[in-house]
This record gives sequence, structure tokens and C-alpha cells, in this order.
Amino acid sequence: MRVDVPKRDLTGPFLGKLAGFWRPLRSLSVAQARVDGTRPLLTAAEFQEELAILGLSGRRFEPEDYSDALGEYLDISIAVHVIPDSWHPELSRLLAISGRLGELRYSEQLNIAAIFVPGSLPPLVLTLTILHELGHLAAGDLLIEPDESDEDDQHAGEAKFTTLPLKKGKKLARGDPFAEESLREREANLRASYALFAGCLGDDSPHAFDMYDVL
Amino acid sequence: MSAAQHQALVLGGVSFVAFIFFLCFLLPSRRTKFSVFAACNLLFVALMFSAVALVDLSGGRTEIMVAVMTELPVVLIVAWVCLALAGGLPAQLGTLPAEPVVRRPWLRAMLASAPLVLLFSLGLATIVGLLWPSPAMRVYAPAPPQFFVLKGLIMVPEGLYSGLAALVFVMAGRAPGLKRRFYVKNLAFSVGMVCIASIASESTVFAGLRVWLGGEGRRATLEPLNTLEACLAIACILAFTAGLSLRYTPAVATTLLHRLQTGWLRTQEQFESLEWRAVSAGAADRLSHASDAVVEACRIKGLSESDTQKALATIRLVAVMKDPSGETQYITPGAARKLYELQEEILCDDVLASKISWAAGWRSRASEPQTVKSAPLHDALKAALDLVDNDGESEGVLTPPLWYYIVAVSAADAKMIDPAHVSMQLRDGAEHRATVEAYDAAKRALRALEALRQRMEDRPG
Repeated sequence: MRVDVPKRDLTGPFLGKLAGFWRPLRSLSVAQARVDGTRPLLTAAEFQEELAILGLSGRRFEPEDYSDALGEYLDISIAVHVIPDSWHPELSRLLAISGRLGELRYSEQLNIAAIFVPGSLPPLVLTLTILHELGHLAAGDLLIEPDESDEDDQHAGEAKFTTLPLKKGKKLARGDPFAEESLREREANLRASYALFAGCLGDDSPHAFDMYDVL
Repeated sequence: MSAAQHQALVLGGVSFVAFIFFLCFLLPSRRTKFSVFAACNLLFVALMFSAVALVDLSGGRTEIMVAVMTELPVVLIVAWVCLALAGGLPAQLGTLPAEPVVRRPWLRAMLASAPLVLLFSLGLATIVGLLWPSPAMRVYAPAPPQFFVLKGLIMVPEGLYSGLAALVFVMAGRAPGLKRRFYVKNLAFSVGMVCIASIASESTVFAGLRVWLGGEGRRATLEPLNTLEACLAIACILAFTAGLSLRYTPAVATTLLHRLQTGWLRTQEQFESLEWRAVSAGAADRLSHASDAVVEACRIKGLSESDTQKALATIRLVAVMKDPSGETQYITPGAARKLYELQEEILCDDVLASKISWAAGWRSRASEPQTVKSAPLHDALKAALDLVDNDGESEGVLTPPLWYYIVAVSAADAKMIDPAHVSMQLRDGAEHRATVEAYDAAKRALRALEALRQRMEDRPG
């Protein structure tokens, strides 16, 4: 995933000095939040809550419906481009060599997100790849400012992982994005698999049923 | 027996009968955390009212404490229900909020505040009662204004939260496309909460009448209200019992879903994506010529699109499994067999196999979605294992379909597998010979096409 973060216009000398004072203070507050903000990985039940917010809980849906509902909720335009191999023969090869299956681009200025996936992907992998990238949008992973991402080594077996607080932007998830990129990827995979099953099962999903039987 | 003791006896009796019913009929058949909690509360209420009926606890602060203790279980029930609707219970007691609450953060916040507000009000009422004691347990006795304050502090929040919970249950029950059982269940809980809200309103009015209504008329007015309260209590217990006894078993259990997610889906995604990477990155370079010939042979033999896809998927798998390069090291016969077995597990369950599907492409609603059974991979895995796996674990193909012959001939021709093994497996019959002829014709056609393309490119201008 790639993010185009708009550059702030702090060209004036006064604002420049102010920004200079502000940076360490902001870093301090972020560091503090990193210590306090932890959460475990997303559960299927929590994902069902997200679906309820989108109005998809208990309904059968396709990835297109999820994309449309997510775009509407986040108030952004989401475009999915499935690129046939005949158009860009090199795309599949380059993605395959880099170990990726798709690419997500997001522009905060233009309020648009674009997902690019090669058309030669097997249908199930294509579906999961698109849902994976949509999962990043839902989690608010793209709202993390580049200097805030943290690659601290965390034990995989830990129940809770460090998160980063977001200062702006809208996300669907209740929790903040994880500081570590591998965890963000893991959670996007989880979201994709939850979405696939929830979309297939509709009101036969045990988690959808739990929302109408709280006692 | 005084009027207060008589009322306590009635309410205690109702609570005890309800507790026995819960214990004997409801809990053995459907034990939820809430039903156990409700049963404990009923027992507590029954014991409290029995104590009031048997021992004269009237007088001073003792009376206040007994009155507060009899209200406590109802307050706890309302708090639990509100917290459950808001999804605020601890994880081991249930985490999901009711569907209508999720989309309304203000409603969620209000419901989540119930335990705090209700217990705070109860505590405040206790302080008021202890500072200015009143005849809280003497049902028809005149009472000072402090008694109205005490009752109001407990009953007004209780009534408001119960009413709010009743509304949420109605909203949950009215969700479009909801199964009838859930509709009835939520309606029953809504009725139960309306009963609690009505009891709270009735109690507040009752307290006001005791304060401000004097003379003989007071008892005559209060007696029907007392009967109404007992009737509402019975209706409330019956409504909750009905709601709790209605059960629904989802078609797919949570544990099965988790197993599918961590087992089959993860394995198939990894397998297919690794295979795609290997092919796209240029590993298995023998594949491109073989797959063109396979498609052409399928066309010559008049095979369907579905069979052609299976043939293509199989030749790709064979090519990747037999490729010695590093990129294809994870696509092994062992991995293919594991995935095939996981798919077979799903196919054993007809309901599950029919429900799990995925789109054949992005925004391709016109084409049929793929299932584990209909996707080319399932048959391709079996066919590829039959062709590649010479360890004896493969069962072989008894009467192979035509596309299998084409793949076998193609794989042998491209030296992916031993031609002698193919001849032996296909018993060198008429079908095999016909397929070899069709495959040769396909290769000739492709060579002619390639020569034509070359001539076109070489032509000057």
C-alpha cells in the first residue's frame, strides 16, 4: 500500500520555528500513546460489528458491496482495477517477484483510494486480495503518518500489540492501527477472511445471529 | 399478618416459583450467562421477601435496608440487560452489542452508562433513606415526602433504562429479513422490559399516593395498584422465560467456521497464490507451450469451457510441482494432497459446500460464483496428484475424463512426467491414441500459427 500524504504549508519562518518546537512535543505524546495503546488482533465478533455499521450484518454480500459500503462510510471513492495480463504483461511478473498480489494507493487530498490487482490471479485469491486491501482502508492503516510507523520487535505470541493513535481521518475499526506493519498485514488478512465467510453465510453466520440474541 | 407481610409473601412466592421453573426446565435445556444470573436474582428476591413475610422487619433504618435490598436484584437485571445490549459485558459473558445499537453510538453510550447510573441512584436513595427513615416496607401506611424522593431516585432511572432497553429489543426484532424466532425472542424480552418500566412507574405513583393521599381513600386506591404490580411481575417473568427458552442453532457453528478459516481458506489461499507467483515470475517455463497446446487440443475435441479450465489448472499444477527451481519449492504433492483433503472435508457437508462460494471475477455478477466443488482447482488437484505422485498413495483414475487424457499426453510430451507412466496409467487404449492424435494436431496448428506470425513480422514494411 502507498499513501500520498498532503504536504503542509509551513513556509513562513514563524511557523517553521513553531513546528520545530512542536515536533519533539508531538513525538513525546506519540511515544506515550504507544506505551498506553495496545489491543489484540481483530476477532470475528468485532468484525461483525463493523459489518453492522456498514449495514451488511446478516446479509449475503459480494466484495463489491463491501467496497461500496466502506467507501460510503469513509466518504472516499474506492476504485478497484483488475488489470488483464494482456494490458500490462509486466505487472503480474513484477508483483510476483516482489512477493505481492495487489497494490493499494490512497490520496488524502483527492479522497480516493485505488486498488490494482492482476487479472490472472485465481478467483479466490483475487477476491481475498481485494478484501485484504479494503481491510487496510477499514482499519485506518493509511491514516498513519509515515514517521509514526514503528518496527519494534514484538513477540508473535503476545495477546496485545502496540497501536498508534490517529489524529485525523475516518476509519471503520474501533481500535487504532497497529504500530508494526506485519501486524497490520496480518489483521488485513483476518478482515479479508472474515469478510469472505460473512458474505457467503449471511444470516447463517453464527456471529450475525449473536447480534439478535444478546441475552 | 400485616399488609406488607402479605405483599411480601405474594412476591416472594412468585419469585420462588419462577426460580424453580428456571432451575428445572430452562437451565438444563438452555443455559446462558443471563439465565443463570436471572435465576440467582430470583432466588435472592425470594429469600428477601420470605424474610420480610416471616419476620417483622418494620421500623427505622432496617426497613430502608430491606427495601433497598429487594430493589437491588431488579436494578442488577436492568443493568445487565442494558450492558449486554451495548456489548459492554466482559468477553467471557458475551461481547457483541445488539445490531441496532452498533450504528448509533449515542444509544450505545446511554445503555453502557446504565450500571453506573442505576447503582449510583440506588446508593443515593440508600443515603436519603438512612438519613431520613420512612416506612418503606409498610405498604399502605402514610409516608413523608422523603419516601417519594427515595423511591423516585431508584425507580425513575430504572424505568427510563428499562424503557430504552425495550425499545432496542423492538428495533432488533424488526430488522429486515430476520428469522421469525429472533423476532419473537426480541419481542418477548421487550415485553419483559416494558413490564419492569411499568412497575417502576407504578411504584413511583404508588409512593406519591402514600405521601399525598390521605384518609380512607388511600388504601382503596393503593390496593388495585398493588395487585397490578404483582400481575406485572408475573408477566415480566413469563416474558423473560419465553424469550430465554426460544433457541436457534445457526447452520454453521462458530468452531467450524474458525476451523475453516484457519485450515482450508488459509491453505488454499497460500497454495494458489504461491502457484500464481511461481508461474508469473517465470518458473515452470515449460508450461507456456504445453498450456497453449492443451487449450487447442481441448478445442479440437470439443470440450466445454469448464473442462478446458480444469485441464489448464492441472497442467499448471503438474508443471509447478515438477519444476526444480526455488520459486516452486512450496507447491509439492504433499501440500496439494493436504489441500485436497481439506476440500473433501468441506464437500462432505452439503450445507457448507453449497454456502461457501466466491465470485469468478470482480463485478462479474453475470457469471456463476465458484464453489469448492465447481472451481477447477478441486478436480485439478486430484488429477495432478494422480499424474505426479508415484509414491503409491494416489488411487489412480478409473475412468478418466477426456480432459485428463489431454493433460496426461501434454505433460508426457513436455517431459514433465514419465511417458511410460502415462501409457501404463491410461492403458494405451483407443481414447489415449485418439487424444495423442488430437494433441499432435493441436501442436501442428500452433506451429503453423507461429510460422505465419514469424513471416508477417519478417515481411518488410
